[in-house]
Order: sequence, then C-alpha cells, then structure tokens
Amino acid sequence: MDPAVKKETGYITVWVLLLSLLMEAVFLIIRQWDLSVLFGNLGGAVLAVLNFFLLAFTVSRAVDKGKPEEAAQRVKATATLRLIGVGALSALFIGAFKTNVLATLIPLLFPRVAIAFRPILDRKRGTGNTGTEGSDLID
Amino acid sequence: MLELAMGIMLGLLGLGAGCAMIAGIGPGIGEGNAVAKACEAIGRQPECKSDVTSTMIMGCAIAETTGLYGLIVAILLIFVAPGIFTGILKDAIK
Repeated sequence: MDPAVKKETGYITVWVLLLSLLMEAVFLIIRQWDLSVLFGNLGGAVLAVLNFFLLAFTVSRAVDKGKPEEAAQRVKATATLRLIGVGALSALFIGAFKTNVLATLIPLLFPRVAIAFRPILDRKRGTGNTGTEGSDLID
Repeated sequence: MLELAMGIMLGLLGLGAGCAMIAGIGPGIGEGNAVAKACEAIGRQPECKSDVTSTMIMGCAIAETTGLYGLIVAILLIFVAPGIFTGILKDAIK
C-alpha cells in the first residue's frame, strides 16, 4: 500500500474522531443525546473513514497503473459504487437500526472539514505548498 | 382525500430524492479526469509521484463531497421529510 494512503487516512481518522466528539458534546448540550445518536455517530464516522480509505486506495492504485484512460475508467466506476455503498449503508443504519438521522449523516462531511483545515495546519508547521514548486521544470 | 394527498407527496419526495442523486454523477467524471491528468504528470516527472498522489487523494476527496451533499439531501427527503409533510398535511386538512 502507498504510504500516502496510510498517512492521509490516518490524518482523516484523527479529525473524524475529534469532530465526532465535538458533535456528541453538542448533542449533550442541546439535551438531544441518546444511544441512537452515539450509534449513528459511530456508523457515520466508520463510513466516512472507510469511504476515504477506499477512495485513496483506488486513486493510488490507478496512478500506479500509469495508463491515463484505464485509470480514469477505474476511478469513475468505483466512485459510483462507493456512493451507492455509502447511501445503502447509511439507509440501513437509519432505517433498520433506527439511528439518529443527523448523527449518521453529519460525520460523512467531516473529511471535507479536515481537508479544509489542512492548509492552515501546514502553514503553521511551515510545510505549506505554495504551488510554485517545480515550476522551473516546466520551462 | 388525505390518502391521495399523502400518496402524491410521497411520490414527489421520492422523485426529489432521485433528482438529488444526479449530483452523484459529476464527481465520478471529475475524479476520473483528474486522475488521468495525474497519471500523465507522473509519467513526465516520476520523482514527483508521492506529492502528486497525496494532492490527488485530497482533491478527489473534495470532489467526492459534492456527491455526498446530494446523497444527504436524498436520505433526508426519504427518511425525514415524509414525517414533517404528513404533519403539515394533517394540520391543513383539519
């Protein structure tokens, strides 16, 4: 497995855990917390991390192949399959296990929040990508 | 009358959920094109592979979120909206 996949999945997992704790705290504060919120949060968080891992794994495998057309086809097909899988499992959690709808769906968006914070953290660490590296190679 | 109204409402909610899922088509196409370009870039500069892969994964995750928005709207329309609209309909008929 590509080290980038492990690194990025680890980063997303930490953020999903932190944001899940924050969401549980918000549910506690507004006095809406019950076990359905906890199980919904667990299910949604696992789905979010699993979806990201599968995305990262597919992208790294497709890039390793080195054939652009084949890589594009592979990623297009798996994107649809992943979306259907996430939808079906979310519906299963909500419909069959009666988990809280919001607590199940909100964690699916946590990876997006984690990625939004990435440039800020990189800038603080001094490892920010200015987007100009390697531009001399183009000329 | 109430049954007919509820039937129409549930049908329209299902239709709305289906329309929301159209948003799931775009990210797949976009991700595919981006990965194809990344392959070409790595072919030109193999030493940049780890940087390109890392950026690619994050970019694809952002694109994926667009489809997830549609999915979330569809699930809310299927599981939450019927309860709300049924209450509104019953109040209106009373």
